[in-house]
Amino acid sequence: MGGRNMIVSIANNITSPLGMTTAENYAAVKAGKSALKRYEGHWGLPEAFVASLIDRSNFTDNRYTIVEQTVIHSVAKALESANIDTASPKVLFTLSTTKGNVFLLDKREKVFPQERVRLGMMARQIASYFHNPNEPIVVSNACISGVCAQIEAMRHLERGNYDYVIVSGVDIQSAFIVSGFQSFKALSPEECKPFDANRHGLNLGDAAATIIYTRKDSVSENNWCAYRGAIRNDANHISGPSRTGEGSYRALKYVLGDIDLQKIAFVNAHGTATPYNDEMESIAIDRAGLSNVPVNSLKGYYGHTMGAAGVLETIMSMQAIDDNNILATRGFETLGVSRNINVTNQNQPTEKKAFIKLLSGFGGCNAALLMTKGGLL
Amino acid sequence: MDELIYKLKQEIIEALNLEDMTPEDIDENASLFGEGLGLDSIDALELIVLMEKNYGIKLQDPTQGKEIFKSVKVMAEFIQKNRTK
Amino acid sequence: MTIQHSVYISTDKVIVDGKALELTEKGSALLTQIYRSHIGDYPKFFKMDTLCKLGFVASELLLNSEGNRNFEPREDRAVILFNRNASLQADTNYQSTIQDSENFFPSPAAFVYTLPNIVTGEIAIRNKYYGETSFIVIEENDEKLMEQNLSVAFQDTDTKSIIGGWLDCTDEEHFEANIFIMEK
Repeated sequence: MGGRNMIVSIANNITSPLGMTTAENYAAVKAGKSALKRYEGHWGLPEAFVASLIDRSNFTDNRYTIVEQTVIHSVAKALESANIDTASPKVLFTLSTTKGNVFLLDKREKVFPQERVRLGMMARQIASYFHNPNEPIVVSNACISGVCAQIEAMRHLERGNYDYVIVSGVDIQSAFIVSGFQSFKALSPEECKPFDANRHGLNLGDAAATIIYTRKDSVSENNWCAYRGAIRNDANHISGPSRTGEGSYRALKYVLGDIDLQKIAFVNAHGTATPYNDEMESIAIDRAGLSNVPVNSLKGYYGHTMGAAGVLETIMSMQAIDDNNILATRGFETLGVSRNINVTNQNQPTEKKAFIKLLSGFGGCNAALLMTKGGLL
Repeated sequence: MDELIYKLKQEIIEALNLEDMTPEDIDENASLFGEGLGLDSIDALELIVLMEKNYGIKLQDPTQGKEIFKSVKVMAEFIQKNRTK
Repeated sequence: MTIQHSVYISTDKVIVDGKALELTEKGSALLTQIYRSHIGDYPKFFKMDTLCKLGFVASELLLNSEGNRNFEPREDRAVILFNRNASLQADTNYQSTIQDSENFFPSPAAFVYTLPNIVTGEIAIRNKYYGETSFIVIEENDEKLMEQNLSVAFQDTDTKSIIGGWLDCTDEEHFEANIFIMEK
């Protein structure tokens, strides 16, 4: 791109119930594995639920909460393949989370000081673990946070405010979050079925995921670039998605600009498998002229990982294209949305080098991110 | 029945923070959603909690609410029939 | 970038464009007093958690001060707010509905506010703003850091102005808003 610096992903990690590295995660998902399981009487909750939960016993450093430990693990793994000095003031930590250490509000929790429930305090634990001198930024925009944090990183790098931005997304499930979604009647009693005619809601999931971005004035064909991102609101309702997909459509329209839609390998949708979300996304995708482009959702493998979702799903999508593959939408059989969009039900080959990550969340917010391999479109 | 309807109106006002409203302002036959009281989907979920908390009625299928929350009167009749406390 | 209007609200003080409003109440009653004396036509206000009430009345005073309100849909204005405590008051309120296993009734109306960005959505809904909305949590009320994060938001070429600033709340009686309209 003449005259324009590109924002390039130089390293990443996914820490989830399906693996502690990106490679393990991709291999598991490609093979169709899911970490979704049914939990009864878990955390003293009266109602059973299906979720994808990390084995807490793998995380034994009692100076840090389980949430902080998964992020530290994810950042440390990502840093193994990036030669950068996190103690430099030119490195910024950006955290994407919705509920952080919210479990500390439970009066039975006595191990950690109450101040750690503050997201900024939690982010400081992580930044200071890596000896970073800057005040970390926490982006907390419900389920779209993971894409918002990447957009924030792109902007700071384009502006030259920092040389590297470490974007981590995390949410770890607890009685607080699960009971809340149960009260919303939003959880599926079985493994979720994104975009399917028989979908009955979402599953929740634990994960931490990290992407490290930098700025480059020239890119090679193997570099993944964050090309363009947008955040738009539905201006409709705080918990119900727009019936016209307004915010999602507008975010898509902005990131697509005047590029050739033929170059898009797939849209990795939010695809939570709630009746309203998937219907809304189908409308937005169709309105944006993308109804022939393959659409997938990864919620059937991981559940909805909230603050981690935008980062995790971006990484999985980059891995898939590196493998010339479009991932299947696990749980999807029969199209159950009003627009005739092209949802994948099995892995399929692709030679294309770009994808769109789409997300929507409470508060009427929506985000879209266009990622390209090689930087050119 | 009238007593239950009045009590239910008070409980709805409190649970849904319908500030400035009194039980007298609510028509027991008027629709709770849309035109009537103008309640939304979160209010409907909160009414499900109200029925469980105050009357021991557990609605498993939230779509059942559509029928039950037609009006305060319909809701009171349902509670009368199904209450466990 | 220029700052056009500003509103400051604390537990016992309300200042619009440098001028103090004469109000008698304090804490949560102050927010209700602002609503009744200056707004009054949005009963959803009473359903909101404290952070949303604060953001709602502060943005209403700000936009009334800007004038020419027509509530026409627009995409060129973003809402980007910052604080320290995210949705702590709503979180604590929701936790109280699940704390006791003998009296366990999770409240959906409480849960829906357990995200700091709900207030940016409330402001977007009220004013039909289809533009960017975002909430950023930082440990300190640091004006330079906020300015840095607001100024980069104009890299979205559709964004021409931002309702931005600090909007924090620890409980129903303790809060602080310092918001403004920033133009490109």
